[in-house]
Amino acid sequence: MEHIPNASAEDAPATPSPPPDIYDEVAYAYDGSLEGLLSAVFAAYERHEHPTDIAPEERLQLRLGQRVSLIPTDQDRALRVMGTLRRQCGRAAALAVTRAACSDEPGAGTAVYRFVRYAIDEQKHRACEHCRKRASCAGRGGMGPCPKQRGRAFSDITHPAVERLFRISRSVGQECEHMRQFVRFQHLAGEGADVWFARVNPKASVVPLIMDHFVERLGVQPFIIYDEVHHLAGVYDGGDWQLVNTEGAGDLERALPDRTADEALMSEAWRTFYKSVSIDARYHPELRRQFMPKRFWKNLTELQESPAALRPRYAERG
Amino acid sequence: MNVIEKLEILADAAKYDVACTSSGVQRAGKAGQLGAATQAGCCHSFTPDGRCVTLLKVLMTNVCVYDCCYCVNRASNAEAPRAAFTPRELADLTIGFYRRNYIEGLFLSSGVAGCPDRTTELMIAALRILREEYGFRGYIHTKAIPGTSVELIDELGRLSDRLSVNLELPSRQSLGLLAPNKSRASILAPMRHICDSIADDAESRSLAKKRTTVYLTKKNARKARAFAPAGQSTQMIVGATPESDYQILNLSAALYTHLSLKRVFFSAYLPVVADPLLPATDAVQLNREHRLYQADWLLRFYGFNVSEIIDEDNPFLAPDVDPKANWALNHLDFFPVEVNSAPLEALLRVPGIGVRGAKLICRARRQSTLGEAELRKLGIAYKRARYFITMNGAWGGSGIDFSREALHARLSAPIDGGRHGRRADRAPAGQMSLFETVEAPPVLPETSPDAATAREVAFAAQRRALETTGTADGRQAIATEAASATERSIADGRKTLDSPLLSVA
Repeated sequence: MEHIPNASAEDAPATPSPPPDIYDEVAYAYDGSLEGLLSAVFAAYERHEHPTDIAPEERLQLRLGQRVSLIPTDQDRALRVMGTLRRQCGRAAALAVTRAACSDEPGAGTAVYRFVRYAIDEQKHRACEHCRKRASCAGRGGMGPCPKQRGRAFSDITHPAVERLFRISRSVGQECEHMRQFVRFQHLAGEGADVWFARVNPKASVVPLIMDHFVERLGVQPFIIYDEVHHLAGVYDGGDWQLVNTEGAGDLERALPDRTADEALMSEAWRTFYKSVSIDARYHPELRRQFMPKRFWKNLTELQESPAALRPRYAERG
Repeated sequence: MNVIEKLEILADAAKYDVACTSSGVQRAGKAGQLGAATQAGCCHSFTPDGRCVTLLKVLMTNVCVYDCCYCVNRASNAEAPRAAFTPRELADLTIGFYRRNYIEGLFLSSGVAGCPDRTTELMIAALRILREEYGFRGYIHTKAIPGTSVELIDELGRLSDRLSVNLELPSRQSLGLLAPNKSRASILAPMRHICDSIADDAESRSLAKKRTTVYLTKKNARKARAFAPAGQSTQMIVGATPESDYQILNLSAALYTHLSLKRVFFSAYLPVVADPLLPATDAVQLNREHRLYQADWLLRFYGFNVSEIIDEDNPFLAPDVDPKANWALNHLDFFPVEVNSAPLEALLRVPGIGVRGAKLICRARRQSTLGEAELRKLGIAYKRARYFITMNGAWGGSGIDFSREALHARLSAPIDGGRHGRRADRAPAGQMSLFETVEAPPVLPETSPDAATAREVAFAAQRRALETTGTADGRQAIATEAASATERSIADGRKTLDSPLLSVA
């Protein structure tokens, strides 16, 4: 195969080399974290490349002829991107990017990248000469961000780059709200350990986004929120909270102590309460399903037939 | 009787209280204390009837000396099992539920055990344990019992986030008839007192915040708890008495303006105890309740005036279109509205554009011109809005006659081709289906002739009773009014408006 291009080059310069900007497609793979995603965005600027896809390594699906570049996660670079974004596009945009990074949607990483490119470019298209505040403006002459432009890029929701990020960020926000509603703690105790444990199955990896909420209101008790879909546990020990990746650590559940006697009483009381507050004459299960989708039911105390159904699952595995 | 049995009885007795909101107060958590509250509230579960469970809604006790006809806990209802929580039991249950994230806080109401003051003292004892002993910072909504002394209400207000007094029924005559132990004055007096206390407290707090004068105060002086920072609400039963929507909406508008209520709840009447004065029908007026809430939202969030929503000539809201669409159909001269330039208030008048949609439009149109595709992206109900808007001059409803009849037909068409809503209502009785099993109990449609007759009979009995009791008690004014009301049909119930609780101002 080696000789063919050489031979053709000698005979006739017929086949022109394909233009690199069309066929040289690149995809960035990162480790799945927010920092990894922002490092990938940084890398795109640094290398003067326009990656067609940015996705977590395990979910990346290569297109035909696409080469892949693995981006190492760099905390400092991620912080730089986030800082710039917050300064130039406002806090709402930064929050939307943070949320989108937690999404499971295949296009989330790319949506974040496209938005950042678009939003930072928008900052350049500004005319300072007619601005009344140009004398006192910190960002005059293109030296810094224009305060008047700050929220502008993210508020143009109909732009394709913004719309995609807006939609993803909103769906992650809704999933956060679902978690705030439907997390159910169980009190586990034994052998000196005393912990409140909750098992959740969200559509997006939202545990890092909801930990602050629960630390604020339940700060008096050490607790664990375990995301069984993404194998991620948020652990609060009474002082600070951390994320623990439990991928492959199958024995985590075995380490949990048993439910307390009080727990059985309280979950029974809660199920009794749930049954007795419903009004039969207004029965409307479709409405309930709309507000409380069925995918959450398996972890909800009030919808179990017996309290035993909520025991830590290792019990039946043996 | 253990706590679970008590909870079963007392939660069952409290379930007819419709209010279940944990909104209106933002309180951050504090190190070492349990609980916080968020402005928007949070629903923690949903019952099979689709209503949310956000608070532990229970009665302190369902023992009651009052004999209100419509209430399941009325004194003469011998079948109802009775129970009472001790303050400690209730506080422990609340904390236990809160720690498991089952609830957002406590909704405490009570039957009248002995006298209102005694009952309120019990409630205060439970709240004191929660707030002072356990340092609970979650949400607490308390029902104040009419007839409670002012000092106790003050104390209750300092411990709760929201206070409410139930208005029960929309007019004075109905109240006198169906709730003989309560009167207009005994309900309105605590409402007015709560309203004044909230205003006083807010004013003194805002003055203290301004720090215009420096006093040498003790450091770390314990701050007084705010008086009902989430405001007050009320509820009334709809459909047990012949009042029209016109009266009900005017009353709630008056309550919003004069007593600064946060919410007025409507509860479609549901027969729980048999009484000759009450309609004995299973057809709950859910659609009417729904339309009343829609009108209520127009009053509170859309800048509508009550006179725009409903008038004396049509005292009931249209059942087939929502009140906003109805307004639009009656004011076609206001439309079409240009989405790219119209002010927010005009956008809010367009059917299919809500508060959120209108704000998004205002935000998005700063950068780009909005057309159909853009509006759909913003999540506007374009299907409904298109007849009432222009996009850069182009009318969205081209091909359709811009007349009241044509638009009414389109707006009242069943949602989603009739596939929307309760499945039990969609399947005609007696029709067999292979795949869709209907698990809901059959419920009489509210417009059925049987239900209408049952209501007529009950309302006629109410009018007769009103006549006799009115003259017997010497309450001449009410009796003459009721007598004159007898001649009128229910649909034309506007004269009774002059007498009801409307004159709260």
